[in-house]
Amino acid sequence: MKVVTLLKVTPDTETKFQINSAGTDIAEDSSIEYIIGPYDEYGVEAAIQIKEKLGGEVISVTIGSGNEEKSIRKAMAMGVDSGILINNADLKSSDPLSIAKAIKEVVEPLNADIIICGKLATDTSDSFIGPALAALMNIPVISEISSLEVTEEGVVATRDAAGRKERFESKFPVILTADKGLNEPRYPKLPMIMKAKKKPLDKKDTAGTEIRKNVTQVKAEFPATKSAGKKITGTPDELVSELVTGLTTKEKIL
Amino acid sequence: MSIAVFLESYNGKLVKAAKEAIGVAKSIGSDVFGIAIDNNVDAVIEEAGKLGLSTVKAAAGITIYHPAMYSRIIFNAAKDADVVIFPGTVWGREISPQVCVKMDATPVSDIIKVVDASTFKRSLHGNKIHATVKAEGKIVLTVRAGIFDVPELGDGTANREEITSEVAEGDAMIKLAEILASSSDRVELTEADIIVSGGRGIGEATNFKLIEDLATELGAAVGASRAIVDAGMRPHSEQVGQTGKFVAPKLYIAVGISGAIQHLAGMSSSETIVAINKDEEAPIFKIADYGLVGDLFEVMPKLIEAVKAAKKSA
Repeated sequence: MKVVTLLKVTPDTETKFQINSAGTDIAEDSSIEYIIGPYDEYGVEAAIQIKEKLGGEVISVTIGSGNEEKSIRKAMAMGVDSGILINNADLKSSDPLSIAKAIKEVVEPLNADIIICGKLATDTSDSFIGPALAALMNIPVISEISSLEVTEEGVVATRDAAGRKERFESKFPVILTADKGLNEPRYPKLPMIMKAKKKPLDKKDTAGTEIRKNVTQVKAEFPATKSAGKKITGTPDELVSELVTGLTTKEKIL
Repeated sequence: MSIAVFLESYNGKLVKAAKEAIGVAKSIGSDVFGIAIDNNVDAVIEEAGKLGLSTVKAAAGITIYHPAMYSRIIFNAAKDADVVIFPGTVWGREISPQVCVKMDATPVSDIIKVVDASTFKRSLHGNKIHATVKAEGKIVLTVRAGIFDVPELGDGTANREEITSEVAEGDAMIKLAEILASSSDRVELTEADIIVSGGRGIGEATNFKLIEDLATELGAAVGASRAIVDAGMRPHSEQVGQTGKFVAPKLYIAVGISGAIQHLAGMSSSETIVAINKDEEAPIFKIADYGLVGDLFEVMPKLIEAVKAAKKSA
């Protein structure tokens, strides 16, 4: 089984972000810790589990701009066999369709059985790449999966869609996007961390595709904070009475 | 400017996020048409008419969801539109990129505000940053669910235009083999007007009955914080927050939830927020309209009784 895992390296959302001087984006400073995108990490873990069950190899593919190698090595320490890194800041900041096309150029020749990535990139809040790649390669996609079974014949995956559980069956090749709950990503062990340093990482500057910038980010700001809350103290009866009165007379919800 | 909106529905009923998407479409321009695919498409067209759409392109007789087929139908119906709008649902997020590829359009995902027809606000980095983006060319938009208002119901009717669907090579590769109904008969989190959520203060899984009982009385959905989902006490489908669902109901009741940033990211847009927590310093109190400082095990039983009583007298 050949599994390709798409791995985006993103700023940890726990970072205390600053806005850059132009006011258009976050400031790229040393306080940012770069990590494997949390949902992509579920994809990495799923890919490794497939290899452990059925044999084969796992290749990671990343579009980056210079902060990625540490995270790719971590994925290798988890069990990814080799990596491809397209290092191109212009591409990374282009619109998602250009990125999907660049990934297609890299991924299609690998002839993978399964391509897996996260359901969402937490930095740009895009859920675009997996389904777009499916359309570009004309192969099926099952997105936002929370359970997965892989056999030699194909995959069975379930997901939560608006309160219903949908169970899909697909043959290979197929693209999957991972939701939380799919698995628990493992912590790399020391011998694997040592081994990961020597695993092949193929670095390129371009995927040979056109870079289109149809989306311009003109402003970045911190969300408006809700006005200060109102605390109510007293006995449990007083608390409940004030709340119910407020919800019936003022908010008119009850 | 021609605007298309995908009217996501299930068994003849529009999902709430699709109604919100209609509102977004109408705020961008007046030349709006809907695209409906349903086994009971007549009901969907009727509902869309009441929500103010004058034209719906409809594919009838499709009994089950198929991502590639849906993408093809929507592309064929929407390819001449300038803006194509999708609700921010699992289906919307799955189909919209495929339609965008076919149109070679510009994707703008997960918008939280319309500035003008080509300028939108988005929420980035787990809602820590809001960004304004300008897009060129034909645009494929997805709209974050739970943010925008549903248009008011009127007495309009929509004209129906038939669209056809053909089976394509490759469709048989994948199928939706089974749809399992939700495990509970409660309203779904993202569809709910009222949500009651429980957090670490609940202590043990069995105590979650307090949350469920209040939710039952209020006709509310049940939510949970990351802490108790990670502890295995509740399923991930109930998790509210950055790594769970983004919700903005009319009333959000946070019980025993301290209010970590990751949780606030998912619910701070709720209209009215109630917090019940014995820790006066809990960050949830900074955003709570009604911050009840008290022991949830004392407050909740009384609150459940008071809601019952309020309903009787109403």
